[in-house]
Amino acid sequence: MSARARQRDREIIDRYTDQPSRLPAELRADIERSTGGKPVQLYALVDLDRQLNLSESWLALGPDQVAIARRDGGGGWSIDLIDRARIRAVRETPGLSCHLLSLLGPPDEPPLVQLRYTHRQRRAVDVIRAVLEQPAAAVAAAADPADDRYADAVAGPIREAQALVAGSDTAIILRLLGYLGPYRRQVAIGMAAAVLVTVLSLVPAYLAGYLIDKVARPAQDGSLPRSAASDIALICVGAIAAAYLLRSLFAWVRLRFMAFLGEYVARDLRSEIYEHLQTLSVSFFSRKKTGSLITRVTSDTDRLWEFLAFGVVDVSLSLVMLVGIGAVLVSLDWRLGLVMTLPVPLLCAFIFLHGRRLERYFLRAWRQWSRLTDVVSDTIPGIRVVKAFHQEDSERARFGARNAAAMEQFNQIHTVWTRFWPALMFAIHCLTVAVWFFALPRLLGTSAPTLSAGTFVSFLLYATMFVSPIETIGQMARTMNRATSSAHRIFEVLDTEPEIAAPTTPVHLAPVAGRVTFSDVSFGYEPGRLVLKNLSFDVAPGEMIGLVGKSGGGKTTIANLIARFYDPTAGDIRIDDTDLRTLDLGTYRRQVGMVLQDPYLFHGTIADNIRYGLPSAATAEVVAAAQTANAHDFICRLPHGYDTVVGERGHTLSGGERQRISIARALLHDPRILILDEATSSVDTETERVIEEAIHRLIQSRTVFAIAHRLSTLRRASRLFVITDGRLSESGTHASLMSDPASTYRRLVDLQREVQHAL
Amino acid sequence: MPPDPRPAPATTAGSQPPPLIESRPEPAPALPDVPAPVALRLVRQPDGRLAAQQGSAVTPVRPVRCFPWSGPARFISLRDDGDREIALISAPAELDPASRAILEEELAHAGFVLHITRILAVTDELEIRLWKVATRQGLRTLETARDEWPRPLPSGTLLLRDVAGDLYLIPPSADLDAGTRRLLWPFTD
Repeated sequence: MSARARQRDREIIDRYTDQPSRLPAELRADIERSTGGKPVQLYALVDLDRQLNLSESWLALGPDQVAIARRDGGGGWSIDLIDRARIRAVRETPGLSCHLLSLLGPPDEPPLVQLRYTHRQRRAVDVIRAVLEQPAAAVAAAADPADDRYADAVAGPIREAQALVAGSDTAIILRLLGYLGPYRRQVAIGMAAAVLVTVLSLVPAYLAGYLIDKVARPAQDGSLPRSAASDIALICVGAIAAAYLLRSLFAWVRLRFMAFLGEYVARDLRSEIYEHLQTLSVSFFSRKKTGSLITRVTSDTDRLWEFLAFGVVDVSLSLVMLVGIGAVLVSLDWRLGLVMTLPVPLLCAFIFLHGRRLERYFLRAWRQWSRLTDVVSDTIPGIRVVKAFHQEDSERARFGARNAAAMEQFNQIHTVWTRFWPALMFAIHCLTVAVWFFALPRLLGTSAPTLSAGTFVSFLLYATMFVSPIETIGQMARTMNRATSSAHRIFEVLDTEPEIAAPTTPVHLAPVAGRVTFSDVSFGYEPGRLVLKNLSFDVAPGEMIGLVGKSGGGKTTIANLIARFYDPTAGDIRIDDTDLRTLDLGTYRRQVGMVLQDPYLFHGTIADNIRYGLPSAATAEVVAAAQTANAHDFICRLPHGYDTVVGERGHTLSGGERQRISIARALLHDPRILILDEATSSVDTETERVIEEAIHRLIQSRTVFAIAHRLSTLRRASRLFVITDGRLSESGTHASLMSDPASTYRRLVDLQREVQHAL
Repeated sequence: MPPDPRPAPATTAGSQPPPLIESRPEPAPALPDVPAPVALRLVRQPDGRLAAQQGSAVTPVRPVRCFPWSGPARFISLRDDGDREIALISAPAELDPASRAILEEELAHAGFVLHITRILAVTDELEIRLWKVATRQGLRTLETARDEWPRPLPSGTLLLRDVAGDLYLIPPSADLDAGTRRLLWPFTD
């Protein structure tokens, strides 16, 4: 665990829970003193008391004793100690939100202690329970300090639910802007163009005032010759036209450069996130929903394009514009200028508050909307059930009711915003009216100082330009919010470190002979829940091992560990007597093959799919592999043969066909160690026979671990490992295990036969 | 599904019928009534565990409510250490008083959830929603996923599940103060 991850866990606990982020130091010292200076190895908060009220107690584990610290009446702690030697068993009784942990002494005696806690503490308590039950877990537990184990356990669920990156929103925006770095030139051009657009849009209003005061009126009262006046007027109109033309030109430059720029950055982010995803461990993908990861690569990067291409410029320019126009207005006539500018912050605040208010309405609408979409996503896939039970009417009613509720909610939103914007416009127009009100006496000369008509016209023209920046700034909070949340989600992925650490000096084992040794391997996907317990075995090169046992017993986990999708929690795995953790992962994985129960075919042709592990394979090799896998024949029956497009939205193949393609893929890959997860689903006898044959050819001369269901595979195995509850309970050949009437294996096989007979 | 004969809870405003996927408050009367096994007694073992005694067989069990929200009083499944059903108690009233008392005690534990009395703050953050609440059991800060909505129960109560898996009941809005009602407004009908 990196120092940063540790720090982050503690921050999460401080921010999102109301419990301490570590065992209070003085309590820890007290506990260690009372146990004779022995260190606290692990601890957990126990947050429910006997009456099931929230409270603070601590369960701490030392090498010889367990300490339970409860608050005493006077704000101190009372510590109870239990010798670990006295604990015969540990029992957890789960409940909806309260779990009960009992440490048991001799049978028929009351428990030594009973502790109650909520789900939030369960992971941390589980780690302690696992150590008490299973000394193997202690080895793993000792690897990290107690503080980290506790923080990790408590913060875990929150961390997994939230795309949280340590750092403020400002830090996120700055980091995002850092991606503009390589495109400094484009940024400079885009920004310069945007500034010019702003400056140029100020020109026409100024010239209008100038024309009236310095040309039209002098010409009318005769102080300026008519010909000179029309010359100047023409120049001014020409200048206005030029200003508009240049403004459009620069607007084009700005839009083009910034749009392209946003696209460059979005591409960079997409590549970076996708490349990073490829380096992450399988455990990361099992924690995160596929949909959420896809969104991050696609729509989140798209949203950032919007922000970078337009948001950044719009927001910064609006600020410049607002300040600029304000300054111009005040400099034209400070009295009128103040009438116009002073209420602006108030207007911005109104827009901001309006946004906040709408959020609550949106939340309601979102909820109604998801209730509506739930019905659709529920009934469309289940349409046969709906029809079979003749529930069309009730489904229609269910949808209708939710549809109406959603509409109702959206109309409430419309009620709010449609009221707001005209009101805001009216407020702005009121300012204009106020300007007229204050200006008229001065225009008419009834009040000092007099105001020239030209200045006033310029003033009014500038005032109309006030509206759009106010709008942009009012919505700035939302723009920033959307951008930061997308950026957060992307950076979260980028900041995740692969859990499978690459060795500093990797051993390149090529070729792998195929010896696989497990020594005392324990493993759990979650802290405290061991799936494999002290598993040891040694498999010679070329041996075929059948893994047998109930589902959930740990067979797939063994396969995952051999492929090094995960590292063991305790113990080690050696390949050809070299620690798996020290091997170069790429070289090793190239020599490990997998044929999975439900083989995944990528979108592409059948040939591409067979070639997946070895893109350079010659066509002849592809055909040979397909022939060996008994796939060639059915492939040639397809109208497009090997060029048939399969996978998502491609040609649909049956389970048996996909199985054979994946066997061909594995054959071409020619792994030294093969993991074979046999399909449980039954296929017709003929298909069964060809698949069996293909598998038989595939497993020749390699080390094979087969999660086997077929009797034929089991018979062929050199040895069978019966895995019960994470342990190796029996091993031997099919014949030897069958000869033992009491063996689990025999019971399993008999059961399977009965089922087959029944069918 | 037949229309719900019960009056709509006072808090469910508008034309919105209760969601049909909710389980009914009581199992349909048409279901065969499963009688409590004859001579089932519940005892507490010396080590504090609940055990089911049927004849001479004594099995340590853990009670599970089959309808925790729609009919908590009936249908209680007694499960052994392998999570297999040992007995199904369709009505605890059929048990002898001593057994019933022990069962109630045990259920208080197993069915324990936190009861929210007041909501102090709800803040939406990235992908999670932060709730600061007062519960009958004490103050608590909890997080839910942003797209996890409180689930309306047949009684008009809302059920909230936090990211760690803890459950919280929020009483019908009539029983809540104005501030709590305001904070809860986006999540109620």
